[in-house]
Amino acid sequence: MVNSSAEESVGPEEVPESPAIEAPRFSCALGGALGTAIGIYGVVPILHSGAGCGIGQLFGQLYTGGQNAGGPQGGTSTPCSSLVERHVVFGGEEKLRDLIRSSTELMDGEIYAVINGCISALIGDDVNAVVKEFREKNDIFFVRSSGFAGNSYEGYELFFEGLIQDLLKPAEKVRPKTVNVFGIVPYQHIFWKGDARTIKNLLAEIGITANVFLAEFDGVAQLREIPAAEYNIVLSTWNGHRVAGLLEEKFGTPYLTFPSVPVGPKQTGEFLRRVAKAFDVSEEIVESVIAREEQRVYRFIEYGGDAHMMVRPHPFFAVAADSGTAIGISRFLINELGYLPDLIQITDDPPEEVRDEITRNLTRDLETPLLPEVIFETDAHLIRKNLKGRPFLFLFASSLEAPIALAEWGALPITVAFPALNRLILNRTYAGFDGALTLFEEIISLFVGPL
Amino acid sequence: MVFETREEADFALYEKRIDLSQTTCPNREQRANGINIYYGKASGLIEKAKSGCLQNHERGFAQSSGCSLNFYLSVRVGTIRGAATIFHAPVGCSSSALGYRELYRGVPVELGRPAEYDLHWMTTNLREKDVVYGAGDKLKRAIYEAQKRYNPKAIFILTSCTTGIIGEDIEGAVADVQPHVDARIVPVHCEGVRSRLVQTGYDAFWHAVLKYLVKKPEKKQTDLVNVASMLSYTWQDRLEIQRLLGKVGLRANLIPEFATVEQLQQLSEAAVTAPLCPTYTDYLSRGLEQEYGVPYFMYPPPMGITNTDEWLRQIGKYTGKSDEVEHLIEEEHKTWKPKMQAIRSEFDRIAAEKGSKVSVLGSLGQGRLLAQMPFFDELGLASPAAMSQDYDNLILEELEGVVSQVGDFDLLVNTFQAAEQSHITTNLDPDLTLTCPFQGGAYKRLKGATRIHALRGDPHPWSTQSGYAGAVAYGNFLLQALKSRAFQRTLKEKTKDSYREWWFKQSNPLYYMKKEV
Repeated sequence: MVNSSAEESVGPEEVPESPAIEAPRFSCALGGALGTAIGIYGVVPILHSGAGCGIGQLFGQLYTGGQNAGGPQGGTSTPCSSLVERHVVFGGEEKLRDLIRSSTELMDGEIYAVINGCISALIGDDVNAVVKEFREKNDIFFVRSSGFAGNSYEGYELFFEGLIQDLLKPAEKVRPKTVNVFGIVPYQHIFWKGDARTIKNLLAEIGITANVFLAEFDGVAQLREIPAAEYNIVLSTWNGHRVAGLLEEKFGTPYLTFPSVPVGPKQTGEFLRRVAKAFDVSEEIVESVIAREEQRVYRFIEYGGDAHMMVRPHPFFAVAADSGTAIGISRFLINELGYLPDLIQITDDPPEEVRDEITRNLTRDLETPLLPEVIFETDAHLIRKNLKGRPFLFLFASSLEAPIALAEWGALPITVAFPALNRLILNRTYAGFDGALTLFEEIISLFVGPL
Repeated sequence: MVFETREEADFALYEKRIDLSQTTCPNREQRANGINIYYGKASGLIEKAKSGCLQNHERGFAQSSGCSLNFYLSVRVGTIRGAATIFHAPVGCSSSALGYRELYRGVPVELGRPAEYDLHWMTTNLREKDVVYGAGDKLKRAIYEAQKRYNPKAIFILTSCTTGIIGEDIEGAVADVQPHVDARIVPVHCEGVRSRLVQTGYDAFWHAVLKYLVKKPEKKQTDLVNVASMLSYTWQDRLEIQRLLGKVGLRANLIPEFATVEQLQQLSEAAVTAPLCPTYTDYLSRGLEQEYGVPYFMYPPPMGITNTDEWLRQIGKYTGKSDEVEHLIEEEHKTWKPKMQAIRSEFDRIAAEKGSKVSVLGSLGQGRLLAQMPFFDELGLASPAAMSQDYDNLILEELEGVVSQVGDFDLLVNTFQAAEQSHITTNLDPDLTLTCPFQGGAYKRLKGATRIHALRGDPHPWSTQSGYAGAVAYGNFLLQALKSRAFQRTLKEKTKDSYREWWFKQSNPLYYMKKEV
């Protein structure tokens, strides 16, 4: 702690560094939990919070996550206990009880997730006890979040932890060749819908059924089947790891981890090979899928070859994105398009213990002797400063950088990370074999003209 | 209770005095008996309000709807040029402000957007340990950091539920730090738990502006007109207001969004404070009159031809420009009235075809309620009902005026309660519903649906709503909206609704209103 009268004795120059951040690229744990709930069709989120929390997240989690509307359960449709001072004084449990009762009557859903905000966490409502009262008649669980519990990524873990703790029971028997996929955080990973679908389809190609939960109409059925999976797959160096760990502890499900959602043929091939090995899928099947897809994708890449080679071959690029997006995109650009890494800023505030691993994933096995500088930074002001005076021509970042990229750094911006207010993202993704084509199209289209 | 005089009634109905010795304003509930739940005739609401027996009620079912901080202040204060904003809050309270760099970038410089500007906000990112040990030092360090980084003229501090509940001493921290920083520190008490009424956030903001930022007038600027713009007014609305005032030699001091700190400091020097939204401007207007003798008027806002005429006349009165304004109105009518007449004829033609006037369900804040009903009347539209985020006694007299002008109507008072709004939209089944994202899926229907207003950064003349140009643009816009139902109809047929069917089969949008107050 700083001496609170520091400024009187030493003046502001001596006051230690500020922990305040300009425009960090995530919301709070409530926001992340709410985003995850809305991302799984059939889940009705119920906020036990102040009235502004849901609408704040409409702006600060959903619109920022690729200009997505709230849909039937998000935005102003989300039930909310709307706590005010009198509840701070007298408690909010009765209000919550009323709200759960009415929400289960009125809101069309299969499973209800009570998501805690700051107010109830501070006043000490026994939310769990209230939620339990309704469990006999409804599938309902408690997400033990608050705004100050952490950021959106924390909210993703808390959502699944609440579900597992309150509702999931060991499966009677394991379903072979079935996996759960974790680590894609809705809205924070702005291509979450396309990512989830691509992973599901890729795994289906090698005979594996994947519960990806997100944007699937049987998402709630998939949640219920979590304990029956043979494996869990985690597509992040850190998101979803706690969930997978808990599932291993509770149900004995082993898990495989990958540094990111795979982008382009090389990463996707590697992804499929590793999964196939774990599941004993024959090499023949996997290699035939990979060969077929590679042949098609690279033949298509050839169409862009002239524009690529004539206008912007081997350019330097910079990234400011969450760790998974940064790893997936950078490795594709470096190892398949021949782009040269300049500066990569990791913006999702990963825990200290995984930072070396993230850096390794950005600096090892690259098809260039040039190594990117890797910086972990959440502060938009410092991210901006760090980009000054560098050689990059392309900037893979967020809508915070997009409006100033050309003027300040002379670079063409592509929004690939949260916040993404300048693009609507529906089924677009850079994941998988075809992701290479989508990303390549986008990059070339930024500058191409008469050759 | 019957009051003998208007003054007596005013005294009982709302608190007129602004007390800047306090750290913040009272909330709208205390100040003007504000409520956010009512459904019935507007005349019934007026009667209840006048007799002093209007009461707020708890909802057994509520949806997320906005607080004093989010979304008004969180997306608004950070646009003030030359300032920095610090959210003293957990990180999620400010994520709605992530559009700050982009917000006005889409406005071409040729339309008057400054080429060079930079906006800044920070969050103190409160965590578990801060709520246990307190975060006063965190705030102080954030202020120093903001001063060092941005060298701003003002630093706004926006508080949160968390700082309110843990009892952060904001004023103490500010008093400690202010002597050491150049920027004027402006603490805004917008803790979400303070009030059910989002408008308390407006008052809290203006209280802080009046208390910390507005300077004593050095000179009177007799040609300066304060115009507080709402969130929902576009760049073209600004241009139209500037155009009209410019024609009679007046200048608009458009605040607070995208204004400079100096524009806020000089509020005291203006000739008059004019409304775009009466209850948004209310606290500021009263404060400026009380402290610096700047006169104000509350009604009407410049929406529709007649309202705009009257708005200009009021401004003319306070600036000694009555003759010029009459001349201006006459000139403008020559340009715009035929265009309005053409729109009106088209609506009349449609009405004749279908056998009744085209009905519209709209409104948003109290301001739009007051301004829009007469405007729709002018267009030849029927408004069988209206919705308003909240009601408080500050608009009582004006609401009476509207009822006497356009006749009685059903009024649903709720702050973005999507289920209630969907219900009333389904049951009243107007030809056209004017919606916004805060009504959930209410736009999914078989009949007409369009937006109620455009966005701040929208530079297209098509999106104008203010003044004469806006009356015509929005009239045409509404006509255009009647030309297609494909989007809302397709989505109505092909996507799920949020609510179970029984909701629409019973008749009461306030089904879940509780008896207790």
